Amino acid sequence: MTDANLVPLLIVTAALATFIITGLRARAREAGDYGFGGRYIGRIGGGAAIASNWMSAASFLGMGGLLYLQGYYALAYVIGWTGGYVLLLVLMAGQIRRFGKYTAPDFVGDRYASPGARLISAAISITISVIYCTAQFKGIGMLFGWLFATDYRTGVILGATVAVGYVILSGMLGVARNQQLQYTLLIVSFILPLMALAHKLGYFWVLPQFGYGVAIQDLKREFGINFAAPFASAGLFQWVALCFTLMVGTAGLPHVLSRFYVVPNIRDARWSLVWGLFFIALIYWSAPAYAVFARLLEARSGMAPPPVAAGKMADIIVIKTAVMGGLPSWMIGILAAGAMSAAFFTVAGLLITGAASLSHDIYYRLINPRASEGSKMALAKGAVVVLAAIVLAIALNPPGLIAEITAVAFALAGNTIFPAFLLGIWWSRANRHGVIAGMLTGVLITFSTPLFGGLVPAVAKVFPLTSSALIGAPLVIGVMIVVSLLTPPPPEAVRRFLAEQVHGHMD
Amino acid sequence: MNDPQKLCDVNFFRPRKGYMTGEVAIIAAVLVGWAVANFGFQGVLALLAQSPDGEGILTRLTFLSFPWHFWFTGQFLPLWFIILCVLFNIYIDRHTEQHSRRRDRSHD
Repeated sequence: MTDANLVPLLIVTAALATFIITGLRARAREAGDYGFGGRYIGRIGGGAAIASNWMSAASFLGMGGLLYLQGYYALAYVIGWTGGYVLLLVLMAGQIRRFGKYTAPDFVGDRYASPGARLISAAISITISVIYCTAQFKGIGMLFGWLFATDYRTGVILGATVAVGYVILSGMLGVARNQQLQYTLLIVSFILPLMALAHKLGYFWVLPQFGYGVAIQDLKREFGINFAAPFASAGLFQWVALCFTLMVGTAGLPHVLSRFYVVPNIRDARWSLVWGLFFIALIYWSAPAYAVFARLLEARSGMAPPPVAAGKMADIIVIKTAVMGGLPSWMIGILAAGAMSAAFFTVAGLLITGAASLSHDIYYRLINPRASEGSKMALAKGAVVVLAAIVLAIALNPPGLIAEITAVAFALAGNTIFPAFLLGIWWSRANRHGVIAGMLTGVLITFSTPLFGGLVPAVAKVFPLTSSALIGAPLVIGVMIVVSLLTPPPPEAVRRFLAEQVHGHMD
Repeated sequence: MNDPQKLCDVNFFRPRKGYMTGEVAIIAAVLVGWAVANFGFQGVLALLAQSPDGEGILTRLTFLSFPWHFWFTGQFLPLWFIILCVLFNIYIDRHTEQHSRRRDRSHD
């Protein structure tokens, strides 16, 4: 470890310790007041909770990294991860809340009256958690590697151990999550160093996320780097396919869907989502600025790395930009603390959700319905460790950049859970045969490029690994419709519930 | 109308009379605004491209010092999504009020 990294390390440690201490105090003060995820804190507070739940290493580190490498093309991430909330709000938020099921497997299992569909959706949810978590582990590994000046492999093993230890410790102590505090740390730690960078570079710094346009022009004029060229990295199809995939994936991610139960009524849930989207956008408006400043600082120092080296450090470029810009080490520490918190809390949420799904949806609902609460809990605890070990094994040789790995999770959600929810809510004729056929098709489509892309190159073009849902999701919807129409309709009780409780509540 | 089979039918493209008809109309309007502004703009950008990397009139114009297309996609579209969500909530709130049997907002 170097002296330069000592201050950031201390700040990261202090930030994580603060969350444990405040979480313990909150638990002691408000025991008994907690519903599903905390006491009610109004629409703005609910929005901050949505944003904090959403922010991960992909938003904090990965997005900046891809923008740094690919310029305009990577704006598809900014648009996909904000535009997906529109789909979520208008097509699903109110309806799934009225349906009254908290998790994706619960919804799919009850709506389609099928243990088989529940099992498949639970397996898909767990797979999504593992893929999503892999991206977080990569971010944590790179941060630890940087903090302790070690190689990536050592960093990811060390980081994963600390992260899992943090999850277990928090669980054992019963630490309550304060998502408003988390969001405050995230936004301050992301924007403050950006303001300082803009100020140092001589750009409009008061609202740096809207003032870096001149830097894009300077890059082009002084160094011939065209950061904003629309189709320099990929064409129109790739852009639209990626953007659409991220949008339907956002509307189909299990841990995003379950947020609508935190707020006491549907109206507040809908307005909280708008606030959440605003808080998310505050960070997404800023991420491109880091990428532009990184390019500019490299060009001005005459040390632009070759493409391979740039690709290796892209996922930590947000931190490197702050270092290259000569920001004080305490400010770099705050930035690193924000990134580490985003990754840690996402890991905690995903591992706990995945383990709960394994214990509740698979073991309790399908294998042993007489299981006691104690044995379910023991299984869930063991599952956290097992899932973390699987994630670590994959993360040791990460298959791509943070945002790219995350995009695969979105593609899987968009090709499976999204169609299952969409038709489950809006078409009462959709039945269990249809949803099972559709979800299995969706899984096949998502992984068609690694499975068949070598044999049939056209597959890789139509269903790119990170962007398969543009063609995939409509195809899955088509499969669900055809198979449903060819088989008997779902039970009348389900259709009546959908018609009367989910859609007929005002008539 | 009294056919029990039909009473249980839910179909986005054949909404039930009453609340759902208006709800679907609002959803459809928002989705059109969502799709056209986003995917439509990228299509226009490709149509107006004069070079393989997409340079054209929209990339040469500037707004707030940004290349126009970059500002539109990177800054305006997220704002547009927020605006769409706000409009959706306002109209759905109003629609719900109109159909509420009780006016004390206890319906949801």
